[in-house]
Amino acid sequence: MAPSFRGLQLANRRKTIGLLAGMGFLVLVVVYAAMTYFGKTGVGVLPIAVGIAVASVWGSYYSSDKLVMTMTGARIIEESDNPKLFNLIQEVCLASGLKMPKVAVVEDSAPNAFATGRNEEHAVIAFTTGILGVMNRDELQGVVAHEMAHIANRDTLVSAIAATTAGAIALLSDFLTRIMWFGGGRNRDDNNNNQNPIALIVSLLVIILAPIAAILLRSAISRRREALADATAVAFTRNPAGLRQALEVLQSDNTVVNQRSTAVAHIWIESPLDSSSVSKLFSTHPPLSERIATLRAMEANPEMGNAG
Amino acid sequence: MGTTWIIIALVVLFVLFAIMTYNKLIRLNVSVDEAFAQIEVQLKRRSDLIPNLVETVKGYAAHEKTTLENVVAARAKATTASGVADVAAADGAVTQALRGLLAVVENYPDLKASSNFLALQEELGTTENKVSFARQFYNDNVRSLNQAVKTFPSNLFAGLAKVGAREFYVVDDPADRQAPTVKF
Repeated sequence: MAPSFRGLQLANRRKTIGLLAGMGFLVLVVVYAAMTYFGKTGVGVLPIAVGIAVASVWGSYYSSDKLVMTMTGARIIEESDNPKLFNLIQEVCLASGLKMPKVAVVEDSAPNAFATGRNEEHAVIAFTTGILGVMNRDELQGVVAHEMAHIANRDTLVSAIAATTAGAIALLSDFLTRIMWFGGGRNRDDNNNNQNPIALIVSLLVIILAPIAAILLRSAISRRREALADATAVAFTRNPAGLRQALEVLQSDNTVVNQRSTAVAHIWIESPLDSSSVSKLFSTHPPLSERIATLRAMEANPEMGNAG
Repeated sequence: MGTTWIIIALVVLFVLFAIMTYNKLIRLNVSVDEAFAQIEVQLKRRSDLIPNLVETVKGYAAHEKTTLENVVAARAKATTASGVADVAAADGAVTQALRGLLAVVENYPDLKASSNFLALQEELGTTENKVSFARQFYNDNVRSLNQAVKTFPSNLFAGLAKVGAREFYVVDDPADRQAPTVKF
């Protein structure tokens, strides 16, 4: 049976929760390793690491709309600047029940788009001049729906949570390896003499490798949210072919958005990073071919176009 | 002593659950009202476009009288409709009349190329999309409400909240009927 957007939405939401739980578990594992290796001092650095991670991520989460606009050079436009685009966005607003977001344009010939903002009220969706020029109405509607889906699914919040956890793990690992380097920390009062050397080596490996595992989990969450946004977009438009054709246009296009800031790579509809340089496991987006295949499978669903 | 506390805790939990369910039902019911109001807003927008469209077509195809009259009559009838079934029926009639008119337009290349018509085309296209997305959103909301009203345990509170199952917005469209539908 052809997959339905409801089933795909549910599956991707569940996978996100599983991955977030995995990240939480990773934090526990690192803390446990730190305690095994350092005794109580190992736990002492946890609040510092979490504090710094929370402070650095949540400031940018709160003002994500303004921050991303500055980083990408996006410029807010009014309805009179592009009435057709506003029509398309109003259509998707009606389909989704979302409020009208602010609309922005990035001067760039590479076709791409993104959504940001901490909630519906502060949402911004932006399009490059390239994507506005190259896509027909149905394709652009699919892109608009994908971006609005990110707003509906609160993806700025999800990625902020993932970034905080990954950041805390990276800081924790960094602090602990530094303490190790300076030879201190091993608590002499904690009956160290009967510690198992294998447990110490395993703890050491966990502390050193945890940041890589955290990045892998964070990328996997980003990929799930992209797949979810595709499914939610279809829930809005009931037209998988439009988004599928839009992704095909992106696939056939070789130009890449002229900004290589990896900090905002995950927010675009198509990854702006050169795919060959990024391993599939570290990628923030599922491969376009995979997303196209999923949408094509949805087109076969008899449920399509039946709103009842 | 211990059992009294357990009973109090259970009563508190039950009351909290009842309040939450009650509020959920009210919220779903209000969403259906809002979604229906949105359909009416979009139908009004479409209705406002029709006189301009009819005038534009008349300028090139005045003798397509019946088609034009169909549209005007359907529009007039739609303005007095109220209630989900009536509005949906009137909406269906206007949709069909407009489709007939646009089919006629195909035979008049001069009309199709005229600046007036080109300006109207995007408006008509987006309005038709907006109407159909508003219908879809309404039906999605009715679907959630009806599910809550009919399934346990929220169905127990439907009477208390004075919320019942609502009517789907069904547009009788022959073009849709030809599409094969598979029910599971």
